[in-house]
Amino acid sequence: MDVKFVNPFINAITTVLPQLGFLTITRGKLSTREKAMPSLGVTVLVGFTKSVRGNVAYNMTTESACKIASTMMMGMPVAAFDEMAQSAISELSNMVTANVATNLASMDFEVDISTPSLTLGDNFSVKISDMQYLVIEMDVDGNLIEINMDLH
Amino acid sequence: MKEVRVLIVDDSKVSYMMLTKMLEKTNFKVCDYAKDSKEAVEKYQIHKPDIITMDMNLPDGDGIETSRHILKLDPNAKILMISAMKDVSLMIKGRAAGIRSFLQKPVDPNEFIDTLLLLYQNEMNLRNILEESYIKPLVKIFQRELFKLSGLQGKMILGESIDADFDVNGTGIIIGLTGNPSGRIIIYATDITMIEFSRLVLNLSDDEDLSDEEAQDAFEEAVNILMGNYVSKLNDLLKDNEIRIAPPGMISGNKIRVLNTKLKSFQITAKTRIGDLEMSIGFAGRQD
Repeated sequence: MDVKFVNPFINAITTVLPQLGFLTITRGKLSTREKAMPSLGVTVLVGFTKSVRGNVAYNMTTESACKIASTMMMGMPVAAFDEMAQSAISELSNMVTANVATNLASMDFEVDISTPSLTLGDNFSVKISDMQYLVIEMDVDGNLIEINMDLH
Repeated sequence: MKEVRVLIVDDSKVSYMMLTKMLEKTNFKVCDYAKDSKEAVEKYQIHKPDIITMDMNLPDGDGIETSRHILKLDPNAKILMISAMKDVSLMIKGRAAGIRSFLQKPVDPNEFIDTLLLLYQNEMNLRNILEESYIKPLVKIFQRELFKLSGLQGKMILGESIDADFDVNGTGIIIGLTGNPSGRIIIYATDITMIEFSRLVLNLSDDEDLSDEEAQDAFEEAVNILMGNYVSKLNDLLKDNEIRIAPPGMISGNKIRVLNTKLKSFQITAKTRIGDLEMSIGFAGRQD
């Protein structure tokens, strides 16, 4: 866990999301976690390699995921987390994480990111680290995106 | 390269003539032209072209809806969407429908030909290349490492190549892959099998206890070793691809749906006396 990796994520979210039609993006609380986290419904895992290694899990409720997808599709109603919404959330994770990689490069960390793994379910847990790691809460037009990160 | 047949779907005859002109001295042959959605579906069935270029705005529907119809008839249809605007929401909708590539009007001739080439060659060869270079070695390494780690003899089954979503019931270890190609691997099993496997890995006797958490940690470590060996083997075989693995993540629970959005994926099952160990490996595609 390293606090210097927090800002690249916040910057990525506040840079990428307005381009996708989101209006109000605010940073919520920053906390730490140990061991597994409960999935809120939709959890996207992305792996980092090269000079910074680790995992990031974007965690959100299915309802938030649908609303976020709807905004990305210019307000089209998204009632269920269907193929279209899945594609949108996958695209979002990709864009944000790629932007994080660019931000890290400007801090002289060369990184490479894996394909996002999208997982969903009513009751499951996700573990990205055996140690303590950071959780950043971001509020995106009233929807919570919880960023769990363990980067070294 | 043999002749590649292209069906152009565009409501403007001028666009059709321009695109045809661009392909004049290439191996791409325009086999026909459809001016609306209805004609596009009909002519696709008549010609079965190798590639379709699809305009977004058609008089009787939009390009995405038309693509959906064609993909329903032939899930392997290769469609290049050409539209006046290339915005994110259009691409998301298009990708979800199964459209492989996007170009913006006005179309640059070189970019057009390059995109067609990539679309044709990549799609034709990607699965074969992946299977030969990445999957066959993986099946062997999976079997060998399984034996080395746990003493289990696995009967290996390489599943049909389908890019479908799947469910994890129990514990799954997710490892991201970066380099060329990037992707991700998930190895999963029911908790009963996972615990039994971990007992074998740790060489525990029947009277020794193992908590669920310890079992999961051992499972994670075993998968990490297996993947480390796989990736170093790959890098020996395929120089310059710089394939690396991210640290393992873990999912645990019941009915966890894992999506295969945009991935070319393969399923490998190791059938053992303690149950099945499943592996799903998905690639985002190569960048050459």
